[in-house]
Parts: sequence; C-alpha cells; structure tokens
Amino acid sequence: MANYSTSQFKNGLKLMLDGNPCSIINNEIRKPGKGQASNKVKLKDLITGKTLEKTFKSGESVEGADVMELDMQYLYNDGSEWSFMDPNTFDQYMINDNAMDDVRGYLVEQDMCVVTLWNDNPISVTPPNHVMLEVVDTDPGLKGDTAGTGGKPATMNTGVVVQVPLFISIGEKVKVDTRTNEYAGRT
Amino acid sequence: MREELKKYSDFLQKIRRYFNDQSVLEVQTPALLSAPATDVYIDSLSVKLNQDINAELTQYLHTSPELEMKKLLVNGSGDIYQICEVFRDNEYGAHNFNEFAMLEYYRLDFDSHQLMDDITQLLKSLGVESQVTKLSYAQAFFEYGDIDILNTDFDALKVIAKRHDLSTDFEWIEDLQIFLFTHLVEPKLQDLHLCFIYDYPATQSALAKVEGQVSHRFELYMNGVEIANGYDELRHADEYKAVFKQEIAKRETLKKHTPNLNKDFLEDIQPSLPNCAGVAIGMGRLLTQID
Repeated sequence: MANYSTSQFKNGLKLMLDGNPCSIINNEIRKPGKGQASNKVKLKDLITGKTLEKTFKSGESVEGADVMELDMQYLYNDGSEWSFMDPNTFDQYMINDNAMDDVRGYLVEQDMCVVTLWNDNPISVTPPNHVMLEVVDTDPGLKGDTAGTGGKPATMNTGVVVQVPLFISIGEKVKVDTRTNEYAGRT
Repeated sequence: MREELKKYSDFLQKIRRYFNDQSVLEVQTPALLSAPATDVYIDSLSVKLNQDINAELTQYLHTSPELEMKKLLVNGSGDIYQICEVFRDNEYGAHNFNEFAMLEYYRLDFDSHQLMDDITQLLKSLGVESQVTKLSYAQAFFEYGDIDILNTDFDALKVIAKRHDLSTDFEWIEDLQIFLFTHLVEPKLQDLHLCFIYDYPATQSALAKVEGQVSHRFELYMNGVEIANGYDELRHADEYKAVFKQEIAKRETLKKHTPNLNKDFLEDIQPSLPNCAGVAIGMGRLLTQID
C-alpha cells in the first residue's frame, strides 16, 4: 500500500497506525512562530472504533491502509457468522458475529449496507440510515393518544429496543433511524 | 461590512490610545529590505525591482519590523511601537497567512516579566479581563507532559517521543522540544483564556537573553492559540552575529535558501541596543480571541 505524506492528509483518508486501519476525521496544521509545522490529526480506529489523537511532523509519511467501502446486500446469519453479497461480483463475505454488536439490531435481510473491507476482509458494517422493523413486543397503547406525546419502549423483530409513540402496537412496521436509534415514522 | 470595518478601526484606536497614554511613540519602518530574515523556519518573500531600467535588484519584504525598529532603539528612539503588515513565504494552516498585521513594541528598561504585565494591561484596555496564568516552559512540560524538559537530552527525548508513538526524526533537540510542546502541552492550554509561557530553553532563545539553562523569552497563548512572542532583547552586535550565523548554518543543513550574514545591521546596532524588552503580537489572532 502507498505511503501518504502529511500534505496529502484529508478527512476520510485511511492510514495504518499501530497495526490497525484508521480513518482521518480531523486534520489541523500548526506552525509555531519559531518552529517547524506539524499536523495535529484526529483518527478513528476502524477495528476498535476508538478515537485517537496524533501529531505528525509535517513532511512525515505514513503507510496507507487498504480499506474499501462497498455496497453489499445482507443475506442471512447462522448465529455465528453474517453473510453479505457484493451485487456486482456476487462475491460473498462472512463477518463474525462478535463484530456485529453495534449493528445487528438494524440488519434486515435483503437490505443494502456498506461493508468496510480491510485487505479484502470485512471489518465493519454500516446499515442504511433508515430501516423498516416490525414491532414484536410493546405495552398496549393508550386510547386517544395519536399525537405521539410521550412514548414507550418497543422491541423489534431484530431485538433492538426503540422508543415509539404510544399509538404503535405489536405487528406494526416502523421506520427507525439507525444512527440515533430513534423512531422515524410508520411508512 | 461597515460594522466589521468599524470594529477593526475601534480596535486599532484603543491600541493607539493605550500606547499614547504610556508615551510610547508610533513609528513606521521600511517593509522592503535588502536582506532576508535568517530565522530557520520563517521564509522571506523576495521581490524583483527595476527590471525595465537595467538596474535589476532583489529585495525582501520584511517578515517582522524587528531589526529596523532595533536600529531606531540604538539611535535613541525610546519606547516605540509599530502596527504593520508583514509577509512570510511557505505559511499554511488555519492560523497562518502569507500576509498578516503585526503589532511590535519595545519598552526600555523593562524585563520580560514587566513586559508581560504591560501586555496584560494593554489587553485590559481592549476589554480582556480574564485571569492570567503564568507558567514557565519547564513547569508547563512538567505539569502537562511529566517531562523535565530542561534536563532531558536529545536521545532521552527521542525515547519519550517514541513512547508517545511520535516521530523521532529531528535534526536538533529544539525542534523535538517544540514538537512535543505542540503534542502534549498546547492541547492543555486551550482551557486557559490567557496564559504566558516564559523562560524557554536556551536552545530556543532566538534573540532573547540567555541565563543558564533558560532564555528570557515568552509567548502568550489565548485559548491555546499562540498570540505573542517576546524577549528580553539581546544588546550587542556579537550576540546577534552568533545567532544569525547559527540560523544560517541550520538553513544550510535543511537545504533552504541561505542568506548572507546581515553585516549592515550588525554595524548599525553599534555600540549596543539599550536595555529593553520587546514583543510581536499577531493582530488578527488577537482580534479573533477577543471577539
């Protein structure tokens, strides 16, 4: 993989740090009055999800990470692995269940997701911003409440619990914002 | 538009009123010079003159009015200040520009601590009433980086940089000190509205007087942004000559443009500068922090 010099740094650039692929989320150049310039960089570790801050000497170069983001269709899971397919090549990728903690509640079979590949191995999945989920458990709604004041917890068919308006009942399909875990309507 | 202009005009007037009240004289010095700056990491912009009249000559836009004002001090100007545009090449980053306005001023018989107090008064006259924090360079490093910066040699500092997973590829210890300051100390200064860092290591003395391990140089940080750089000024030509020579040699090592020794300046400051302290303040940066 190519090396990148600090002058090529920009948000979204993927670099290898401490053996893990990282993505630049902020790059700030500092040039002291009496010294050399440096780049203060905030990065997200794509494996651990942690944010780290590093300072690079300007002109320093860093190994790039072979990271690709591909649109893929979620097919199924067998309890230990989750299967995705690249609709262009029909290649299938399997992701270990324990890498799915943050997103498994939002994956609906046949939905298109963004799968991040590092050296051709999937490392994370980003579900669509909105998904349609079915309510499998919630307390009965209060009569007459149609404005959505207040709310109540509802368990979806994927296992995720979302706060929904009081008028929602079991069996209904609701739209959920996967970035905030919020109810986003009924259609 | 008019409102923004008015704000800057008021800002200038308040600064001028402050200095007028203190009997500090406003001066103007040439911006077009025959010699470029020798600072290792400040590059002059060069200008070609008189190309059409066969008297072609390269001159340089000043990167700061410092040397020209020092000539005035030698000749008995007394306390002086100047507000002017300065020009620097190869500047980049959110706070750096190829042209910016600078306030530079000198107070006779002040040391750097008196000058820091004076800057605090100037800021007060501009409406900045915040509490002032003063930290020596060594204190700041000790507190925020757990490093005894004055007693850690180049090799030991590289080990520390490595431990922080930072580059160790530096030519001189002062560059690594500055780099570690940027990484470890500066983020902590963001929480302080007004903070003077003083007594820089002798390796970073620039044109400030050196006493033992430290030089009497200070910087003002406002919310983590470097606003001002001041010195107890060197007085004698041989001291300036030693600094210039070292800077020129470093520029040569870095394969940067290497100017000749500025002999005219060294002659012009004979027999010596008066005892004084001086400071350069970035006007744009200051205004941004006051707003």
